[in-house]
Amino acid sequence: MACDIQQRYGERLNRYVRAMRNEKPDMVPIRPFVAEFTAKYAGYTCQEVTHDYTKAFAAARKCAAEFDWDAVVSNMVYVWTGMTKAIGLKYYGVPGIEIPATTAFQYLEPPENDAYMRADEYDQLIEDPTGFLFNVWLPRVSTDVVPPGQPSTFRNNMSFLKGGMAMMSYFDAFGPHTARLRNESGTVSAISGILKAPFDIIADKLRGYRGLCTDMFRQPKKVLAACEALTPHLLHVALSGADPEKNVPIGLWMHRGCVPFLSPPQFERFYWPALKEIIEELWAHGHQTLFYAEGEWNPNLKYIAQLPELSIVYHVDRGDIFEVHKAVGHKFCLSGGIPNDLLAFGKPDDVRSYCKKVLDGVARDGGYIMDASAIMQDDTSIENVRAMTEATRQFGLYSQNEEGARPPAGGTLGATGSASDTVGLPSAAATGSASGMRRPGVCVPWEEKAAEFPEIRGDRQLVRRVWEDVDALAYTYIWQCLLSF
Amino acid sequence: MAEDNRLAEALAECREDDVRELVRERIAAGDPAAEILAQCNRGMVELGNRFASGECFIPELMFGGMIMKSLMAELTPLIEGQSQAVETRGKVVMGSVQYDVHDIGKDIVTMMLRGVGFEVIDLGVDVPPEAFVAAVREHQPLAVGMSVLLTTCFKSVLATMEALRAAQLRDKVAVMVGGAAASQLLCENAGCDYYGKTAVDGMHYACSLAQVA
Repeated sequence: MACDIQQRYGERLNRYVRAMRNEKPDMVPIRPFVAEFTAKYAGYTCQEVTHDYTKAFAAARKCAAEFDWDAVVSNMVYVWTGMTKAIGLKYYGVPGIEIPATTAFQYLEPPENDAYMRADEYDQLIEDPTGFLFNVWLPRVSTDVVPPGQPSTFRNNMSFLKGGMAMMSYFDAFGPHTARLRNESGTVSAISGILKAPFDIIADKLRGYRGLCTDMFRQPKKVLAACEALTPHLLHVALSGADPEKNVPIGLWMHRGCVPFLSPPQFERFYWPALKEIIEELWAHGHQTLFYAEGEWNPNLKYIAQLPELSIVYHVDRGDIFEVHKAVGHKFCLSGGIPNDLLAFGKPDDVRSYCKKVLDGVARDGGYIMDASAIMQDDTSIENVRAMTEATRQFGLYSQNEEGARPPAGGTLGATGSASDTVGLPSAAATGSASGMRRPGVCVPWEEKAAEFPEIRGDRQLVRRVWEDVDALAYTYIWQCLLSF
Repeated sequence: MAEDNRLAEALAECREDDVRELVRERIAAGDPAAEILAQCNRGMVELGNRFASGECFIPELMFGGMIMKSLMAELTPLIEGQSQAVETRGKVVMGSVQYDVHDIGKDIVTMMLRGVGFEVIDLGVDVPPEAFVAAVREHQPLAVGMSVLLTTCFKSVLATMEALRAAQLRDKVAVMVGGAAASQLLCENAGCDYYGKTAVDGMHYACSLAQVA
């Protein structure tokens, strides 16, 4: 039995990876981004899967065991609000607290005149991104954190202590959960690590979209410089969490790069240069990026086509997937394209027909992964997800079954091995150029600390290595707060 | 002599410095503030038209709306001081539906409506059906606009329409729905009068109700 499951895991991993390498596996893999849908299926409320990650994991495992899917994201709900409340983060509407228990969590844009970063603070961010996040940003987004220079409080100390320990326990829980997915149902953990576009980080978490729109007109050079300053840090975080086996991609979740949030010229000027640099660098390290193009991205296809072949898996949301296939299908694997409103309100036969249409149109030569357009929440019909799954198995078989995936030229990717969805901890030896006072991966540099030590009598390198490893945990804390929570 | 449209054009093209300079010039020249505001309104309509034709995108709408907001703050006291009548198009009640806390789309529509001269009662986000009903009863607006970003909040649109019907207000107000999750299908199922794909569509619909350009 266990042997069968491991064999199934190997087949699924091979199928999934080969499709992502734009090859033709034995059949079209299914990797649905099921978020609050898992709660609906497993009988939990949105509050339960958002506030208690053990239930989110259990719901994902139940779906993986009962649907014939090749890969799932370990926890597509992802934001664990038990931890965000421990830190005191203000920017979520949490199910069961600020919004009903039956409603998915929501991100709250900063108030128009009270953004988490002020219009005149770009230079501070550019000079020292990590310092800015700890000293300015976190005290503003947390109800409990006190800015430097003001008297500390018990709640301030608890925010760091509880937040740090909670984050560690959450990340540590991914490993065993991923192993259970593999061992209990032979399901692959679909992604590993996290990336956001520098522009999105400024829009979502720092200036707010409204503030950033104004800044693009009033201080465009500062916006560009801020994107550049964030780039090595976002690259570092992405690499830190990437799959060491280089099988599964790094998740890149994009919000504001699409039309009409940005015009194509604004995209080309503000959004694209820094993001392109990160994706190319990740590819140079052998990692694919799961390019989750939320919204309508087709007007930007000519830019996306500039990326190295195979460097991304292009997930299509509102864009016309047939047009995407025509434009870049020869370079990248595509996924998605099944409309969410069809999955929520349509009839199973309509879902089956639509899946067949997409499979016929874009999957004939391989390089396609079945999924909905956007993440599936609790309005998605279980019957329709079943229809999507069955239709893929019925219409998504390939006649030829080539053995073994060819590693692409850009990296040293393999077709087998274990995929982990854990968020790894960065080493101090950061990749990417140094930016600002603190290098990527570093909060309190070794050089600064070493000057405080008396003459080290024993192994200096050991002291340094341990200092940097532990220091990197603090770096992970603040950047994961920014990126993931 | 051709009408001086420089102010409207500058606003439609989001040239903030030019807009401010032209407004200063016209105030200094003694032009009535209501006339200056009327030309700004025309600029906002033109900005909307540029958006509708794909010449500009949300950042321009957002920035143009912000410029307009600050101009209104500057000009309104002058209008009051000059005892002039401010031409209003009518009232519109706006809100993001219950359980939906997203506000950008709703705010853009609100800015555009205000920019072209409507009085907007902004109920904010996560607005329960009964709050829409109370606002319609109190303000007797020309239209109600519901914004919905999440497909999971469709039921709030249906509940709001049901509440308007139960309060016997449905035939007294036009209802428009918009936002990323909205669609013609939702509009028809809920019994709304109009689905606006973009903020500018919503503005044009309100203008058509008010019988203005």
